[in-house]
Amino acid sequence: MKPSTVGLVGAGGIAGVHLSGWLSLGFEVVVHANDGQAPVLTRRYGGRAVGSLDELLEAADIVDVATPTHTHRAVVERAAEARKHVVCEKPMALTVADSAAMIAACEGAGVRLFPAHVVRYFPAYAVMQSAVAAGRIGRPAVQRYFRIGAAPSRPWFRDRTLSGGMAMDQMIHDFDLARWVAGDVEAVYATQAGDETASSTTVQAILRHRSGTVSHINGVWGRPTLRFHTGFSVAGSEGLLEHDSLRHGVLGYDGLSDAEQASYLPPVDASSSPYTAELSDFAGAIRDGRTARVSAEDGVEAVRIATAVNRSLDEHTAIALEDLA
Amino acid sequence: MRVGIISFAHTHALGYASILRDRADVECVVTDPGHVDRPAGESGGRELAESIGVGYADTLEELLAWRPEAVIVCSENVRHVDDVELAAAAGAHILCEKPLATTREDASRIVDACERAGVLLMTAFPVRFTAQYGELRHRVRSGAMGEILSISGANNGKLPVERAWFADPALAGGGAVADHTVHIADLVFGLFPDAEATEVFAVANHLLKPAREAETAGLVSIRYSNGITAVIDCSWSVPDHYPTWGGLTLRVIAEDGIAELAPFAERVDGFTELDRSPLWLPYGQDLDAAMLDEFLGAVSEGRQPTPSGRDGQRALEVVLAAYESIETGRPAAVRAL
Repeated sequence: MKPSTVGLVGAGGIAGVHLSGWLSLGFEVVVHANDGQAPVLTRRYGGRAVGSLDELLEAADIVDVATPTHTHRAVVERAAEARKHVVCEKPMALTVADSAAMIAACEGAGVRLFPAHVVRYFPAYAVMQSAVAAGRIGRPAVQRYFRIGAAPSRPWFRDRTLSGGMAMDQMIHDFDLARWVAGDVEAVYATQAGDETASSTTVQAILRHRSGTVSHINGVWGRPTLRFHTGFSVAGSEGLLEHDSLRHGVLGYDGLSDAEQASYLPPVDASSSPYTAELSDFAGAIRDGRTARVSAEDGVEAVRIATAVNRSLDEHTAIALEDLA
Repeated sequence: MRVGIISFAHTHALGYASILRDRADVECVVTDPGHVDRPAGESGGRELAESIGVGYADTLEELLAWRPEAVIVCSENVRHVDDVELAAAAGAHILCEKPLATTREDASRIVDACERAGVLLMTAFPVRFTAQYGELRHRVRSGAMGEILSISGANNGKLPVERAWFADPALAGGGAVADHTVHIADLVFGLFPDAEATEVFAVANHLLKPAREAETAGLVSIRYSNGITAVIDCSWSVPDHYPTWGGLTLRVIAEDGIAELAPFAERVDGFTELDRSPLWLPYGQDLDAAMLDEFLGAVSEGRQPTPSGRDGQRALEVVLAAYESIETGRPAAVRAL
């Protein structure tokens, strides 16, 4: 039977994006959030707020977990127990052990589990990865990824015990991409400057892949005025691929006041957003029993890399992934 | 002023010779006796000097007998030390190509030889002369960006094909790490003159041009005594037929915002049907000319030029720590000068 109802757990930043994405794909969506914000979300985007997780699990075919990271495992295990397929916001969990337990729970219940590593669905990254996979730049030798943006405003992100910190929450996108392009990582080294709990911060991580490729990942959480800016450079034995998100825009304005610019900017179209492409891939994978562009195992490996980076930050030394407990 | 150039081994020597040829206040003579040992097909010697339009001396002794007031040392990295010792003893002020040397001992010998002879020593870090780098340094030092947190730099280029020795560790002291780490290391020291590099972690591989003996890709992470961190991508990762030699970028991440410096960004873009390739016409500042202005100006005025020999030593210590880290897989302490 074709799944038709999604139970969205959480009503924070990413939940609105997922909600409009699911709706644009034709799903019914029920929403529950412990903080009571579900009706606010459904009034804005659509869908139906329900009063409890039990009620949500009763109605849903697919459960979309968009809660703070430290709660993922418990919610995913409840969903698996109820034999619902699961989409889980990244990072899958705060630890490799929690992530593995989530996979075991889903496998035991016979349901699918997809971590929402959405940057694999951002077209520039997808185009790059498929060109590398097709051999168009030869063997990747050295790659750089950066991700710069305002620090998240919700306080739990700045608490490493709840979010895993910037490396786990933000840079995990690029850890996943670096591994997607160049394969498994064997060792990492990282440095951090700035106070992650209070002000601007940056982490610079170096990854050594089993393939011999080396990667540099730079994440920044800065002032609210900082523009969101990402990019990459992937150099191989036969070529080079580069991208910068602040270039190549299709539409731009200049000379208008901020208010005018705001009113002229078209709303993000849910049907063409990378988030919707991601949810559509997951829904299709569930429906057709095929794999998606990102697997639960990819999610665990991304958590493993981020865990090693956090340990490198704590211990000021290189960390071999096989040495992680 | 009589200015000598020792060796065409480093391709920058060709640019320096052209700049000096065009200066009314300079007579330029090059010596390149080592060209006979370079692989067949590599340019050099009297023929190259004449094609540029500068004088030529058959031997270093002949060049020094001409009593140059200043020399630019452009030999293979391992030969810097011998050339500097001879030129300094002959009383010539010295601009030495980067890296200053390939070992700590050679770098000390270079600095000592110049001190003993009472001649000035400058290290060739031309990117320091980017006008906007001066502006950035002012902004950083004035606190206008808030506390500086970290620097992310990339100095990528083509593997130099005109000269094989760049990828021969016996002559270059290494590969991409030795060749390209030092520019950005020096720019960071220029922003924070009082900071010391304390620890380096680095990785490298040979996946680009695997037939060459030297590493062709590398990432170097540096911690400084003032709490800032930096990562430098020093790879020879620009494809052979790319429309330009490469470039250098520096991102300065601060409490209040981010600065991005791209000294080679100024260009006209286009395309030509003649060889079916992109056109990339740089029109930026001539950094080599600005660097030579500083060197010859310092020689005329008898003052210490910047970047100094000590700046060259500091950048070399980062490279030496990077190679140690590549060897051990662990962070390596940077030796204080």
